[in-house]
Amino acid sequence: MYYYIYDGSFEGMLTAVYEAYYRPERPEKILRQNSIQENIFVSSILIHTDEEKAGKVYHAIKEKISSMALRNVFYAFLSEEENAATKVYQYLRLGWRVGKRIDDYHAEDRVLALHQLSQKVSRETHGMLGLLRFQKIEGDIYYAEIEPDHNITALLAPHFARRMADQNWIIHDVKRDIAALYNKERWIMTEGQLQEEIALDEEEIQYQDLWRKYFKTIAIKSRKNPRLQKAFMPKRYWKHLVELKGK
Amino acid sequence: MELLSKLEILADAAKYDVSCSSSGSNRKNVGKGLGNGHMAGICHSWSDDGRCISLLKILLTNECIYNCVYCVNRSSNDIPRASFTPEEVAELTINFYRRNYIEGLFLSAAVFKSPDYTMELMVKTAKLLRQEYRFNGYIHMKAIPGADISLIHEAGQLVDRMSVNIELPSNEGLKLLAPQKKKEAIIKPMGFISSQITEKVEERKLYRKAGNFVPAGQSTQLIVGATSDADLNILRLSEGLYNRFGLKRVYYSAYVPVSSDPKLPVIANPPLLREHRLYQADWLLRFYGFSSKELLQEDQPNFDVFLDPKCNWALRNLHLFPLEINRAPYEMLLRIPGIGVKSANRIAAARRFHSLSYDSLKKIGVVLKRAKFFITCNGRYYGEIGFKENLLRQSLIGELPKISNQKRDEGQQLSMFSLLPEVVKPQEILTTVTGEF
Repeated sequence: MYYYIYDGSFEGMLTAVYEAYYRPERPEKILRQNSIQENIFVSSILIHTDEEKAGKVYHAIKEKISSMALRNVFYAFLSEEENAATKVYQYLRLGWRVGKRIDDYHAEDRVLALHQLSQKVSRETHGMLGLLRFQKIEGDIYYAEIEPDHNITALLAPHFARRMADQNWIIHDVKRDIAALYNKERWIMTEGQLQEEIALDEEEIQYQDLWRKYFKTIAIKSRKNPRLQKAFMPKRYWKHLVELKGK
Repeated sequence: MELLSKLEILADAAKYDVSCSSSGSNRKNVGKGLGNGHMAGICHSWSDDGRCISLLKILLTNECIYNCVYCVNRSSNDIPRASFTPEEVAELTINFYRRNYIEGLFLSAAVFKSPDYTMELMVKTAKLLRQEYRFNGYIHMKAIPGADISLIHEAGQLVDRMSVNIELPSNEGLKLLAPQKKKEAIIKPMGFISSQITEKVEERKLYRKAGNFVPAGQSTQLIVGATSDADLNILRLSEGLYNRFGLKRVYYSAYVPVSSDPKLPVIANPPLLREHRLYQADWLLRFYGFSSKELLQEDQPNFDVFLDPKCNWALRNLHLFPLEINRAPYEMLLRIPGIGVKSANRIAAARRFHSLSYDSLKKIGVVLKRAKFFITCNGRYYGEIGFKENLLRQSLIGELPKISNQKRDEGQQLSMFSLLPEVVKPQEILTTVTGEF
């Protein structure tokens, strides 16, 4: 039994899929580097990321299956779930057999497994479009801290680049220490922690107070329903919400 | 007055308006301004009552010349009054929007001085946002009944959605509780908005740049439980509004007691379940191909408290069931209790490749709690009880009558003969389960 081990990058994952077709050893699983499980019945094969091979797989997904499939694969990768790459591999094997109709195979395990992953990611992305909160900091910059379950910063950035086109902003994933930066022209992804302490703009506290007041007032007391509230807005997100911080 | 207190007063006065949807508009952020529309809408928070907060929902003013009995802002009510200036509203909207608190603005107003005066102020606010602040986010504006049509026309070109609230579902209710308002004053702007929307859609077929008029459509709100109107009347009204005026949404608002006027019913809690049933029926009208007369009739003009409208319909039409999941046409799949648009689509797509078993339905994500009583998978029935109305009703409402688990997994061939004696009446079951009544 063989496990393929890749470096954790998207290209690395696609290279592993490529190798799975060209090497004699079929992988039982495809895993990220630091998630190696010791198992005496398994031999690990280290996959070296190869841009060209990854590129071939990328185009083969897009052309021989569909761009929807490519999106699903990318989203599944961003889920960062341990078995994501294995599920991607199995989904793609079926995909190259049945072609663009693959996403209609709702009752097929391999398709279902991948859809569940990609749905988790798109659901969290959509939720975060609403739940992300910017704070205005010194230097006319709007700064947001997030701690999403999945690695979605790069999926959020295009939305905010379209929407907040006339303001500088930073979306900082403090869990992964990556950030998207936008300077009214274009956005880029960077890694690493912030260097300086953040100083709030003088207006900021006033608007946070106004928002908290609005949030409190708009609820109808006789219809109070905390369970429903938590179902829509799980508590793990409250930490970064102006209106619920510390509750 | 301080901005914070104004916001408190004018948000408090707006909170009984249910609508907060920000969907239906894909307005672009032109010229690198601020904001854009999102077709599906985005919720930004959820308040303590579990309702989504998408828009900054405020009144421009709560000073009202009218004295509608059911309304918290009626002129005789002794509450603090306040008014925003258009500039204040614009500043607030922009600053909330930049921090991603909101998807846009929902601006409503009590009738201050006159309908025209109020509407003018509202239009001014929208103009300020669109032109001075180059704001392209979502704006929902209330059309003030009785305001001049030219003002409504102007507003419609600036905003994404407009609404005129009918509030009271019948003429009698209106006469009793809002004698100063005329039905015509409500219907006229609705008709106008609807005709303008259609006109613009036609125009845009000819000239791509013909401009927009209320691109996210119009909506309205009906209060449930403030008058003696039955569910049937309310649902018929909604159906008429969808068909005749092409409304995007009708909202239902359980009446929350805001006044002790003798003309109003005395209630302890808002009728939330009734509101819920109406929403369920509303969805059936809009997305499931039902008509109001299928759901309710004169002899039973109100919804069952215990069962949702679709289950109820299915039980009254048992001769159409059980449906074979692998062959039933799409329109009929939609009519199976527990199966929604998404599930129906998935079933229709997946069954093209192979026949679906009970297990594959589970995998697809179909909720079988209710559906299992109304379907067969390759001829097998999985309802576990006899296919009789009283038994089904019992199972759907409360606990399942206990039968052997032995056949649970393999299913049973459907028999038209009941496997069980008639046990207890559904009412009695419910009483034992909930301890109520």
